[in-house]
Amino acid sequence: MSTRLARILTTLFVLATVLLPIYWLVSTSLKSNREITQEGTLYPHVPTLANYVRLFTEKQFGSYLTNSLVVTFVSVAIALVAGAMGAYAIARFRLPLAMEGKVGLFLLTLRIIPPVVILIPVYLLMLSLGLLDTWLGLIVTYTAFNVTFCVWMMESFFREIPVDLEEAAMVDGDSRFGAFRRITLPLAAPGLAATAIFAVLVTFNEFLFALALTATPRAMTMPRGTATLIGRIDTDWASMAAAGVIGALPIVFFALLVQRHLVRGLTMGAVK
Amino acid sequence: MHGAAQARKYRLQGAGLDLALPYLMLAPGLMIVLGVLVYPLWDGLRASTKIYRYGSPVADAGFQNYLRLWSDAQFLNSLWVTVKFVALSVSLEAVLGFALALFCLREFRGIRLLRTVLIVPMVITPVVVAILFRLIYASDAGMLTVLSEAMGGGEVQILGNPLNAFIGLVVLDVWEWTPLMFLILLAGLQSLPHEPFEAARVDGAGAWRVFADLTFPMMRPVLAVAIVLRTIDAFGTFDQVFVLTRGGPGEATRLISIYGYDTAFKFQQTGYAAALFVTIGLVVLALAFSAIRLLRRIDAS
Repeated sequence: MSTRLARILTTLFVLATVLLPIYWLVSTSLKSNREITQEGTLYPHVPTLANYVRLFTEKQFGSYLTNSLVVTFVSVAIALVAGAMGAYAIARFRLPLAMEGKVGLFLLTLRIIPPVVILIPVYLLMLSLGLLDTWLGLIVTYTAFNVTFCVWMMESFFREIPVDLEEAAMVDGDSRFGAFRRITLPLAAPGLAATAIFAVLVTFNEFLFALALTATPRAMTMPRGTATLIGRIDTDWASMAAAGVIGALPIVFFALLVQRHLVRGLTMGAVK
Repeated sequence: MHGAAQARKYRLQGAGLDLALPYLMLAPGLMIVLGVLVYPLWDGLRASTKIYRYGSPVADAGFQNYLRLWSDAQFLNSLWVTVKFVALSVSLEAVLGFALALFCLREFRGIRLLRTVLIVPMVITPVVVAILFRLIYASDAGMLTVLSEAMGGGEVQILGNPLNAFIGLVVLDVWEWTPLMFLILLAGLQSLPHEPFEAARVDGAGAWRVFADLTFPMMRPVLAVAIVLRTIDAFGTFDQVFVLTRGGPGEATRLISIYGYDTAFKFQQTGYAAALFVTIGLVVLALAFSAIRLLRRIDAS
């Protein structure tokens, strides 16, 4: 009986710790700035959606959202295609100088280096290419980050799929690439999904490069746009909270939708 | 005759294409990685040996930028703050995550809800996580102040006080990343073999003995991987600090990434900042590779 009680209490404590900050964010987003700073209420006494309306009418959150969705979708899609092909090449072929073993390690090394290390040169590169403050600049950057990770993750998925299946398809007249596309790729679909989900999360949430590479609502992503609301002397708490909710909603919704794959993708590397 | 030659030609072309296939498949990914990651790395290395004025190189500095780091009190402070932050956050996350994973190993009602809810902190945009905690810590309108005033207390100072701000940042990181630690360790626990535990139960071993003699030693590799992953990640923490404290008050929460960013973009010392970032990169790589070697040794023994 007492272990059961302890279990219930621990569960409640964990739930409260996780959910209380989120409750406070949502509740603040429904208050007016007056109520937030002067009355200090525990819940919105006069709930209002005005903060949300203001985000979209005055603060260009529509463009931030569009930019985020376009940049995330395009860069993840390109990285998945390029990454899947690259991973297949090193999982299945012998290359000169035993490159098939080294490419993975090389990409992993690149992945370990904190992104902030190449921030300045990437900024200078985009400056010289005239890609600052454009979708393309962000897409190119994010695709490169995602490719390292996609290749590294999908190589192991392809290795798990027996070669016999491809050979059978090739005997039946498929080309090597055809066998890859028709047989191996569909079999690796769960792995592809886990990889894609992880890439979407990381890309949608990215802030550092968006901060350096974008400057106007033309290309600013959601996290970057949200950060513009911060740092003024007179903080607009209500807008900030509403921006937090709008920024968090798509990604939380997405994560809960694909929960099973997500957990697999997050834990897989470590437990193996 | 003509037809046969044509067929042979096609076959050869097919063979040629198949020979080139691995390179064709590798090329797109490798090209973008070389262009956008490797070239900038090289460029950063080059920039780190130069002195910049108004965004363009004016003189060669050799290793001067690197040497200057070690007499720069602000750099040394940011390094120290980073080490403290990483050590404290990651060890707290490991302990809490492990405890929670052990707690959730047995199925009980509500566990699915618990697991679902625990996904939320680590998927929310880090910038938004920082906003969450600003709304909690703010001295005029934050949750802590509101709660304290509701109970008759006064304003709670978190972000204005150096020690409190640092602790506040660690709390944020623990809130955000304990769930990841928990998920990795739970998966590890679930993949342990059953037999040793049954044998121990038959022998009448107590819960603590089972943990100290079986669970912990068997979990050590997974635990090590989880800690290494988190440590590498925590070293690069930027977004949350940028939004929560911007490194302040004073230099209390100025992590090395924030200092590097300011050096590059606020103070425009491009070469010096590049040297700083190269140094961070080398430290993290050294850390990662020694961790990998350590893990191999654990695996072998």
